[in-house]
Amino acid sequence: MNLYKYASPAMFYPLAGKMIPWFAIPATILFAAGMFVGFFIAPTDFQQGDAYRIIFIHVPAAWMGMFLYVLMAIYAGIGWAFNARLSSMMASALAITGAMFTLVSLVTGAFWGKPTWGTWWVWDARMTSTLILLFLYAGFISLQAAIDDPRRADRAGAVLALVGVINVPIIYFSVQWWNTLHQGATIRILGKPTIAAPMLAAMLIMLAACWLYSVAVVLSRLRCIILEREQNAARFAEVNA
Amino acid sequence: MHWPDLSMGGYGFYVWGSYLFTLIVIVWEVVSLRQRKKALLKREERSPAMRPTVLRGSTNETTS
Repeated sequence: MNLYKYASPAMFYPLAGKMIPWFAIPATILFAAGMFVGFFIAPTDFQQGDAYRIIFIHVPAAWMGMFLYVLMAIYAGIGWAFNARLSSMMASALAITGAMFTLVSLVTGAFWGKPTWGTWWVWDARMTSTLILLFLYAGFISLQAAIDDPRRADRAGAVLALVGVINVPIIYFSVQWWNTLHQGATIRILGKPTIAAPMLAAMLIMLAACWLYSVAVVLSRLRCIILEREQNAARFAEVNA
Repeated sequence: MHWPDLSMGGYGFYVWGSYLFTLIVIVWEVVSLRQRKKALLKREERSPAMRPTVLRGSTNETTS
């Protein structure tokens, strides 16, 4: 089987359609499982009471906002460097979902901050850099929307996406570099997490659910983008025939 | 297993507010994607001459 043929949007379109349910259905199951573990199994936190249960959505959403940005920049970069149309379309498809997760992390963070810190928002390094991430997504989306020629829009978006990538490590390390109100990392790549097992389990199940959900919606948005561009190209050919 | 206290020990507004907001965002994304697809396929039906290659030969796509 020649896998390269799927790099063509026309070939990828039906494949993406077949893949969507394989992600959407497990995503729904895992969301339900994560909520169950988070609310029925995880104990009440001894310091934060039940307010901490917001982290089951807040932390996965914040991670997704950052991961999807990096992924978007990689796809946009590949699309730009190798003139790969499908890769650029993938970057556009990722942007809205990434922006949504970033928005969810900011809003749920505010909902957590109000009872815990006594304020909805502070201009803390982590929160400010996350807000900048949301603006980068918004900039990418509106820049692409403002340019009529899709290939030019892809190139302009790629430049913005790649420059903005510098913000992601700033968000990640902000709690170490600056004295922030936001707490440090609970889960470390190296070393033991500083969290009870059922709480960690709920968070990781929700993270998996968010990943699967993202794949499903991004693939279905990618299908829309392929269709839109093909239609516009067909129309253009008709007018100029 | 334990039944969660719906008032969340006084934090109910914040906890349920967070999950409600997330739910609204997810529903908005899924519904708007579905509408986007529906509008595209309708545009297809109106002008089959401009039917893009991705849909050629797979007529069941228009009904799904």
